[in-house]
Amino acid sequence: MLNFFIPILAFLFQQEGQGRFTRTWEAAAHPDLSKFLVIGALLFIIGVAGVLTRRNIIVIFMSIELILNAANLNFIAFSRYLQETGNVNAVAGQIFAVFVIVVAAAEAAIGLGIVIALYRNKETIWVDEIDLLKW
Amino acid sequence: MTLSGYEALFFWIFALAAIFAGLLTVMARNAVHSALFLISSLVSVAALFVLSGAEFIAGVQILVYVGGVMVLFLFVIMLVNVGAEEKGSEEIFNNQRQVTASLIFCLLLVGGVLYAVSQGFPALQAKNKTDPLAAAAEQVARDRSLAKGATGTSRITADTEHIGNNLYRYASLPFEIASVLLLVAIIGSVMLARTLRQEVSADDVDPETLQEEIALDPELAKLEPRSE
Repeated sequence: MLNFFIPILAFLFQQEGQGRFTRTWEAAAHPDLSKFLVIGALLFIIGVAGVLTRRNIIVIFMSIELILNAANLNFIAFSRYLQETGNVNAVAGQIFAVFVIVVAAAEAAIGLGIVIALYRNKETIWVDEIDLLKW
Repeated sequence: MTLSGYEALFFWIFALAAIFAGLLTVMARNAVHSALFLISSLVSVAALFVLSGAEFIAGVQILVYVGGVMVLFLFVIMLVNVGAEEKGSEEIFNNQRQVTASLIFCLLLVGGVLYAVSQGFPALQAKNKTDPLAAAAEQVARDRSLAKGATGTSRITADTEHIGNNLYRYASLPFEIASVLLLVAIIGSVMLARTLRQEVSADDVDPETLQEEIALDPELAKLEPRSE
């Protein structure tokens, strides 16, 4: 358990090296790829928590949008990182993000159509009351 | 990629805004408030896209998500609004056990992802041997070398041009498939959202079901095209 947590804490607060405060300040004043990845991960987790805990089906859809957006943030961050270091096609990440946005828009249109049809037939938007497929 | 100076300051502002707005999206009691917080989260993430040099994606994000998808969400919320949520008479979360289990799962996921980043990123840095300060200076020099705009205060990036070139050169087939996907989505959502009256007048209902529905609502018989 400790083996698991100590690297995380050391990474977040940059404890090794010259002075804890200067290292932390240095890391905060120059956010790099890892900070983008952490922000993306936090947005993803918030979205997952929303999907798992909320009862309102529309808020669940919004949480899914949050998850897709977190994935986009990672694509863009890696695209920028590869632009500077790698010799691969660095714009590929941005192109993938365009397709993620397209799929998200299609998914939202279909999903909201289903929500309207469901509300017309069952008069509810609480997911725990929509149990037609439960045996 | 290493941001510095004002870029770093704005990175932290927009990153915190995105995360707090995301949290409030999940926790707001009123679904309209959730939608508005989601809009501010999406705009903050678009600002992060601008900071990492993806101006085109930031514009697309604001046009498509904020201008299109979120307006659709708001319309649907207002169409199906039940009102019980805001009055506080209905619980907004699932029951206690499910929430506890899913939050434990989410905490494990946070730990796992942070562990992976903390293990993987230093190795990536060691492999590419990048010095953060040198990389930041290099980035500033690269931004300075861009052509100036008409007013002389801003710079013109070639980001959109690169995306256009690469999209049609390497991803033209997926691009066409995406357009078919959008067409299918439009037709599907129009079909799904029809009312019974619209289905009857398009002669698109099973005859037995139609007889049952006519027994409940005689008005429907007048709409049927065959009866004329």
